[in-house]
Formats: sequence, structure tokens, C-alpha cells
Amino acid sequence: MRGRRHLGFVAAAATLLAAAPMSTIYDRWTWLVQCAVVVGLIAGAATLTRWWRAPVWAQGLSMVAALLLGLTWIFPSGQELVSLLPTPGTLTHFGSLLASSGEDMRSYGVPVQDLDSLLFITALGVGGVAIVVDLLTVGMRRPALAGLPMLAIYSVPVAVHVDSVSAVPFVIGAVGFLWLLAADNVDRVRHFGRRFTGDGRDVDVWEPSPLAAAGRRLAVIGVAVAVLLPLAVPGMTSGLLSQLGTGGGGEGNGRPGQGGSPGRVNLFAQLSGELNRSEQRDMVKVTTNDPDPFYLRFAVADDFGRTGFGPRSPEGAPVTQGLPDPRDMSREQNAGITRTQYQAEVEIVDFAMPFLPVYTAPVSTRNVDGNWRYDPTMQVLYSERASSRNKKYSFEFVRSEYTPAALAAAPQLAPEHAFRKLYTTVEPVREVEELVGRLTTGKRNDYDRVRAIYDHFSRKNGFSYALNTEGGTSGQDIVNFLTNKVGFCQQYAAAMTWLVREAGVPARVAFGFTSANRSSNTYTLTNNNLHAWTEVYFTGIGWVPFDPTPAASITGSWRSEWAPDPDAPEQSPTAPSASAGPTADPSAGAESPDGAERPLDEAFDGGAGIAPDSGPRWPLWVVAVAVLLVLLLTVPALRRVLLRRRRQVRAAAAASTLASVTADGDVPPGVARVVLSDSELARARADAHAAWDELVDTLVDFRVRVDPAETPRATADRLVREGLTAGTADEAVRLLGHAEERARYAREPLRHGPLADALRSVRRALSAGADRRTRLVAATLPPSVLYRWRLAAMDLSAGFVGFTGRFRDRLLRWSPRRVLANRPSR
Amino acid sequence: MTQQTWDELGGTLPSDQFRAASDAIVANIEEVIEGKTATVRLALAVLLAEGHLLIEDVPGVGKTKLAKALARSIDCSVRRIQFTPDLLPSDVTGVSVYNQETHDFEFKPGAVFANLVVGDEINRASPKTQSALLECMEERQVTVDGVTYELQTPFMVIATQNPIEMEGTYPLPEAQRDRFTARIAMGYPDPGAELAMLDVHGGRDPIHELRPVSDAATVRKLIATVRDVHVADAVKQYAVDLVTATRESPDLRLGASPRATLQLLRTARAVAALEGRDYVLPDDLQALAVPVLAHRVIPTADAQLARRTTDAIVSELVHRLALPHERQRSPYDTRPPSGDGTGRSQYEPRRR
Ligand SMILES: Nc1ncnc2c1ncn2[C@@H]1O[C@H](COP(=O)(O)OP(=O)(O)O)[C@@H](O)[C@H]1O
Ligand SMILES: [Mg+2]
Repeated sequence: MRGRRHLGFVAAAATLLAAAPMSTIYDRWTWLVQCAVVVGLIAGAATLTRWWRAPVWAQGLSMVAALLLGLTWIFPSGQELVSLLPTPGTLTHFGSLLASSGEDMRSYGVPVQDLDSLLFITALGVGGVAIVVDLLTVGMRRPALAGLPMLAIYSVPVAVHVDSVSAVPFVIGAVGFLWLLAADNVDRVRHFGRRFTGDGRDVDVWEPSPLAAAGRRLAVIGVAVAVLLPLAVPGMTSGLLSQLGTGGGGEGNGRPGQGGSPGRVNLFAQLSGELNRSEQRDMVKVTTNDPDPFYLRFAVADDFGRTGFGPRSPEGAPVTQGLPDPRDMSREQNAGITRTQYQAEVEIVDFAMPFLPVYTAPVSTRNVDGNWRYDPTMQVLYSERASSRNKKYSFEFVRSEYTPAALAAAPQLAPEHAFRKLYTTVEPVREVEELVGRLTTGKRNDYDRVRAIYDHFSRKNGFSYALNTEGGTSGQDIVNFLTNKVGFCQQYAAAMTWLVREAGVPARVAFGFTSANRSSNTYTLTNNNLHAWTEVYFTGIGWVPFDPTPAASITGSWRSEWAPDPDAPEQSPTAPSASAGPTADPSAGAESPDGAERPLDEAFDGGAGIAPDSGPRWPLWVVAVAVLLVLLLTVPALRRVLLRRRRQVRAAAAASTLASVTADGDVPPGVARVVLSDSELARARADAHAAWDELVDTLVDFRVRVDPAETPRATADRLVREGLTAGTADEAVRLLGHAEERARYAREPLRHGPLADALRSVRRALSAGADRRTRLVAATLPPSVLYRWRLAAMDLSAGFVGFTGRFRDRLLRWSPRRVLANRPSR
Repeated sequence: MTQQTWDELGGTLPSDQFRAASDAIVANIEEVIEGKTATVRLALAVLLAEGHLLIEDVPGVGKTKLAKALARSIDCSVRRIQFTPDLLPSDVTGVSVYNQETHDFEFKPGAVFANLVVGDEINRASPKTQSALLECMEERQVTVDGVTYELQTPFMVIATQNPIEMEGTYPLPEAQRDRFTARIAMGYPDPGAELAMLDVHGGRDPIHELRPVSDAATVRKLIATVRDVHVADAVKQYAVDLVTATRESPDLRLGASPRATLQLLRTARAVAALEGRDYVLPDDLQALAVPVLAHRVIPTADAQLARRTTDAIVSELVHRLALPHERQRSPYDTRPPSGDGTGRSQYEPRRR
């Protein structure tokens, strides 16, 4: 009982240690005090009930009661009896705390202040974990399982933190778990009594047993496998590691829970959060030799879900493997498309995302390591692990521009094209359907349809810009926007994307910065320059940007020939953006005429060529792995077949050479007996051995018992007796047995035996007698080969263990402890 | 092979003659002993292996009969000693008596001075008398009053005894038991053989009509042929493994002696020759392990308590012990795990 009580306290302490990672969330240490109180109460309750030898369920109940009491005491509602006993009022108070904790979690960034709601949920969670750990450890004696609830605590800071957290608190938690395991183990060993060495020396409880060496070895192997496996398996890094690694979500966006991998960033929420900030801060500095750059783009929301548009999980190869060049992919569709190569340099000032902002379409990068990947469909640089924080890099990009005629000439997307499902799905909304129907009647090609929708978002139609609107992009939000006609970039972009998709043309929302604050070639981009726009896919051309947000309201808004500003007077479509915002650089945005630097460039096929074959890369992997697996699986069968062929050839050759020898011997008259030379004898022996080995392998393959204590004769007799040779091969198996025993034990081996035929007939008989499964296994995964391999592996590992053992012994000889200890050698 | 030839054995026999001679002896004995071919052949094998035979079984199963029939089938000197509690060692070995006429001591040879000595009911004599056989059985000589007398070849002692548990017996000392090459049990004849026995032996005993079909010279030639049988190294290794296993078995207090190894191999040669082979197989050793080894080993008290006979222990060893040189070539062992769980590894030979 003493051991158990002790174990209970260890469990409590381990729970507290496991809660250490919570310190990364809180600003102060109030939470720890409260958790300690709660856990202490629980441990006390558990000890008391155990002292009374209450059953496990009673222990659990008492702990829950202790948790309730503790919480009531720490978070009083003022309605308690004697200010301690919880009343229904207390519970309602707890409920409201819980409810507001959900709210607060979303609204406060880390590190958070001491908020009652958050403290309450922390104490509740840690207390719950303490109960479970105690029950698992002491009640059920399964301390290893207690690691799971502890892990639950771990996951909280991991989920909350957007970038890497210090590892120290986690190590503390792990130490707690190890302590728990060790304590339990020592307790277990104590149950056996005291430990002695062979010579009667008392062994300290903490001294490792001889078995510990094996345990250590297993542990090392386990850790190695755990580390190497995720590295070796492609695509696995996007699982666990991406969760543990840093994520996006610029800090202070008001939604601390939204960080994480590129596929999970809530781009819209961050966009509106940043745009609504009162103060302005520099985020990115970019220098480019493009005289009139388009938007610096970093992310795409291309997936339509219940709550509107969101990003898909990007897929792509590390940038270090090179980026696709859109010029390489150009098809026949190149008339009217110009592309120019420029170069740009980016310095991230204050922008933490799992994406790197680039101009479309980057063709080469510098100072971007292999953690960063490029999704050629989304055309984004993303990382599962790293963050864009404080990065400095440069890249070359190919800027593409299109003439309306080229876009108008683009064929319609084939109905079975994968993009149709990916990029044209939207929730059916009647108003939207009607609107799109009205706008696109009589339009003959995709471009005209898109233009009609694009032109719809004009001042003429009553659309205006306002930042302080609800930024949702779900169905109802879009309908509201289309009726109210007031919104900011994300509503414009989302609405246009929606309508274009409704019209059956692939579209998505892109995110980036408009170009502003120019000084010579450098643009300093702030949170106010964050922007969203629409990209539309044209078959054979690629993704083409359209920015439906009123250009006049956006600093650095950029209009193109294919998407001119619908609000502008016909002649000079670019003028209005000059007078945009207070921080606008008049020369930056739309000032430069669109067609200016558009010489006779080659055509640009903005990713059309990339999209179809680059998106789903995984089937290739799957096929490759499958082929590899199949190859690996056939290796044993192949080995078996080769072995059999070799032995059969041997056996056949044996019969023929021996026959020829006898024939030769018959030629000189009077020679009655051919005396074989030693080498011939040896060969005949080896041939018989080969035949016998083949028989034994065949037996193993067909799961017939093989007994190393049995002589060849006895084996053959047994096969005949047990009817395994089905009568037909009785003679054959006896012959093989006879040949083998002669080869092994007699002065002269058997000299003419149709061993090959015998082997064949025995194999046939065995195969006929076996069931289908055995036959299949014998053919595909011959147990004989596997058995040999296993033995070889075992021998190898035994040899290795022996070697390391000797090595350690040699080292131990020089160990100072051994020299000093001077204890009697055993 | 340190085999001493007591006198010239004569040349070897070609296999057909060997077969004819041996088959004649077996057939002759089988005229009186019904349905015991294997036992009879084993008895003959022991003779050809220059060993001694101990026939142990309950009364009335033909022990004396077998011994007599074997002795009668060979035209050589036969003596019979009926061991009784009052039998003296000098009755066995011989005694020096003072000759009044020559005024000298004269040696009167005892019962062992013959080619075949039938010792009936050997465990009814006192251990003192039993021990008189020790020297002659191993060294084939008798020393009386400081003078050593050589015995003839072939020389074979065929002793019969009742199982130890029977009343009025003195169990043979270990040293004595170890000198017997093989101990065989007669066993009851099967019903068919017993019926045949009733028909043939119902009237008068056919043993009186038994004529010798062989003589000492032929037997010497047979023995020489047996000595010539080839024993491969692997078989020798297996024999050593086998006796080593008896020494290491946890069930046995005393394992088999090196003499047992020697005699095991010799008997195996004889069995192989009787089967018409000129090479020994491990099968021969396996078949002989129980008759040759079981009477020499002593089980532990535990095994005795568990009523495990040495026969059972030895045959279990045989079933467990792997053949030598097997593992390199075919390392398989797909036997189901043994029930008693005392790992098979302890019977594996300790070789590196
Ligand atoms: N297998 C047998 N074949 C022929 N006769 C047998 C057999 N077994 C026993 N007998 C007969 O039984 C009798 C007793 O035999 P005996 O050799 O004197 O027994 P033991 O010496 O074993 O006590 C003999 O008359 C013998 O003929
Ligand atoms: Mg008798």
C-alpha cells in the first residue's frame, strides 16, 4: 500500500510537470498555482480513498469531487454554500466560463493575460488529466497509457503557437512521464522482494538489471526508426511535423488559434484583421527591376467549403529542385501573350506566414532553402515547417500579359477536365445563379463571360468600397455583398470568383500585396497594402488575374488591358488609381500605361502546361512504391526458382556425366568396374547433396515438417508413410533419400540416379497434396528462402551483439569504476 | 580404432557369403523362437560385434531358449552357468587345485572357458560371483592365483536375467552392466507367433533337433567382415554426440561411458553388415541407442519418481538430437515445439 500511495503522488507530480508547456501560453504563473492546488486536492482525495481501500470507481468519484471543490474555491460565483459547496449557480457560472473561454481563445494572442475563463479551462483540463493519469497509473497499473492524457496537454501549446516554441517545457513534461514510468517499475520490482546478485550482494533498486541493456538497445532502435521513417517516407512530413513546426498567421491577427500549415491558414480572417488595424506597419520590402510590377502574391484560396473560400493544402517539390518555367510549357496558344523576365529581391520585415511572397511566376530562387516548396498549380511558395519571418531572398520571375483577343480565343474548359470539379464548385444560391445568368447571356466565350462579371463590379452598378464590413465569403455573405454592394477587396475578390465559377469558368482568390511606397525600385509594403483579387483559368493560357475591387480605393491598384477599370473613362483606364490612398505613390500603380513595356515577347502560358500533370504527383509515387514492393516481394520467389534451377541442372548433369563415365568404362573389354576418381566422387556426392537440399527446401515450402534429428532414410520413410508422396513419388523420394545417405555415409556415392526426375515428381506430388494457400505461398513467398534469410539475419545480429558485448567488456576493463571498486570478481 | 585381435580372425567374406552365413544362423534360431526376428538379429549382431548380450525380461518369454538356440546354432564350445545364490566365483573362472601326482597346482578351467557362455538368471548370484565375470568379459582373460589365461575367440557371454524388481535378485553392479554390449528385452510374442509356437512346440521341444549351421571359424570371418564396415566421420560424430547427450541430459545421473561409444559403433557395424551394407548409417545408431545405452545410464531421482525408464529417456534423446553437419546445409527445424518445454537446445551438441 505504501508503494501505491507513493505512486499516486508521483502521478500527481508528473501531471504537473507535464503541464509545464502551458507556461508558454500564459504571461504569468497564476495558472500553475491553481493547477497545483487542483492536482494536490485530487491527489489527496485519491490517497484518502485508497487508504480506506475503496474500489477504483470510488477513487475516481472522489477525485472528480475534489476537482469540483477546487474549481469552486478558485473560481467562485458568489452563490456557493459556505463559499465552498457548489450550487447550481456555480455550475452555470462554470458553463459561462467555458463558453467565454472558447471566445477568448480565439480573440487573444499568446502570451495571454490571466483571464478567468482561460485559467478555468486550464485548471479543469489539467485536473481532468490528473484524474485520468492517477486512475491509469495506480488504479489500473498502466502508467504507459498515462502518457496519452499528458500528451493532450502538450498538444495545447502546439496548436496555439504559430511559430516554434521553446523545447524546454516539453522536456520537463517528458521527464515527468519518465519519472512516472520508472517509479512504477521500481514499485513492481519491489513486489518480488529484494534483488540480489549471484554472489548475494544486495542490489539497489535503481541499479539496472541485465535486461536493461536489451531495453536500451530496443529504445535506440525505436528512436532511430521514429526519426528516420518520417524522413524516408515521402509526403509524411506534411503530417505530424507540419503540426509541430511553425506556421503562418501573422501575430496579432486576433486569431491565435488559426496558425499552422499552409493549408490551414485563414487567409481572409488575417487579411481583414490586417487591413482593419489602425496603426500601419511595414511588412515587406521588395526591390524589382520590373518597372510596373503586378501584385506581390503569396497565397491562394481555391477551395470552396461550407464557410466560403479557403486554401487547399499545397503540393509540390522543394524549390531546390528547380521551378517550372512557364515558357517551357507554352503551347500553340502564344499569340497575344507577352512575357518578360524580371528579377526581384524581397526582405521580410514583419510578416510570418508559411508562404513566401513572390511575383508570378517565379522561375528561380536564391536564399530559399529546401524547406520551401513550390506548388505549380497554386503558384505559391510554401513550407510545412519554416516561416517567412525575417527571410531575405531573391528570385527571377516571368511576368505575363495577355491581349483580350488571346483570352477570347481560349477554348472552353473540357467538361471532364479535373479543374472543373476543383475550381468551379460553388454552393448553389438562387440570387447568384440569376445574376450570372443575366450577366452572361449572349456571351460566346469564357473571356466575355468573365469580363461581363468583372464589369459588373463597377461604380455604375452601385458598388463602393468600405473596409468596415463583415468579411465573410460564405453563400449568405456573398449574397449580402451583392445586394449591399459595399465591401472591400476580399468580398470583391470572393464574389467575382464565385460568380465566375458559377459561370462554369475555373476561378480562385489570390492574396498578396499591392505595390506601394515606391522609392526608386524598392517598394515598402505595409499591412494596408494587403490585397485579394481573382484569378481565372483560361484553357491553354493559365491563371489570369482580375482585380474587381474599385481601383480608386486601393493604393497601388493595377489594371490591365484585359481587365481595365470599369469605372474609368474609356480612353485612359489607368488614371484613377493615382489619386488612391493617402500613402499612395502616384507613380507606383496604374500610372504606367498598360501596353507600354509589352514588346514582342514570346507567349506566356501561365501554368496551363503545368497544371494537369503537376497537381497529382502522388499517384506516381504510389505506383513507384507499389512496383518496388512487388519487386521486393518477388525476390524470395526468384531466389527460390534460381536455386531450384541450379540444383536441377546439377542433378541432371550428374546423371548424364555418370552415364557417360560408365559408358566409357564399358568400352575396354574386361574392365568390370569403373573406378571413379576422387574428384568425380566428390562431384557425385555434391550432386546428391544438391538434390537432397532441394527436396528439403521443397518440403519446407510446402509446410511439411522437417526434423533435423531425422536421417534421410527416416525422412523418406516418413513421407511415404504419411502418404505425402501420394504413392506416385514413393520410389522417387526413397531414391533421393538413398542417394543422400550414400553420399553422406558410404564409401562411394550412388552413381546413377535420375535425381532430377525424382525431384520433379516429388515436387509435383507434394504440390498436389497441399492446399491452395500452401501452394500459393510456396510459389510466391517460399518459406525456405525466408527461413534462411531470417536465420542469416539472426546470426548476423547475434554476431553483432557478441561483438558489441566483447567491445564493451574491453572498454569496461579500463573503466575507472572497475579499477577503484575493487570488489570481488564474480 | 584400438581393437585387439586375440587371434587370427581370418579373411573377410564377400557380401553374398556373409549374407548366406548370417541368414542361416538367424533362420536356425528362428526355428525355436517364434516371431522375434528383430531380437534374434540383434543378438547375432552383438555376437558379430564381439560383445556380450544381456537378455532381460519377465520369466517365461524364451530368454533361456534364445541363448541356448544361439549357442547351439554355432558349432563351437558352449558352456552354461546357472547362476544361483550359492554359486562361487571359482565356479565361473576356474580354480587351481593341488595335484597329488604331479605335486603341483593344476588349473581347472571354469565355465567361462568356452566360445559361448550362457549365464542364466545372472542376477540370482551374489554380487561377488557376478563380479567374477568382470575381467573375462572386458579383457577376454582370466587371472587365477597370479596366472593369466587367455580366452578363445569368439567369446561371448549371453546372460539372462529377470527385471530388477523381481524377488530374490541382486541387481548387477554398474561396472558389470557396462560390460554388456546390449541389453535386449524379449517381449511377448504377438498372438500369431504364439499360435505358431503352440503348433510347433506343442509336442516336443525343437531345440533338441537344432543343428549347428556355422562354426567358430566362420564366425571369426564374419567378425572380420564386420570390422571392415565403413564408418563415415559424420556417423562417428553422431555417435559421440549421442553419448555426450546422455552425459548432459538433465534426466540422467550417469551418462554412457566411452566403452559404450565404442560398442555402439561396433554393434552398428554389425547391424549394417547384417543388412547387407558396407557402411554405417545414423539410422543404425538410432536403432541401437536404446539396447546399447539404456542399461548403462542411471536416471536421476526425479526421473525415477516420474517413472521414466532409461529406455524412454534415451529414445527421447535420439529423437531430439540433430544430425551432425546438417545446419550449414539445411538449417530448418519445423518440428512443433515440444510439450514438456525443456528446450531442445540442451540436447544440441556443444560444437562451435
Ligand atoms: N517366442 C517364443 N517362441 C517359441 N517358444 C517360446 C517363445 N517364448 C517362450 N517360449 C517357450 O516358453 C518356454 C519358456 O522359455 P524359457 O526360455 O525357459 O523362459 P525364460 O528363460 O525366459 O524364463 C519355453 O518352452 C519356450 O519354448
Ligand atoms: Mg530361464
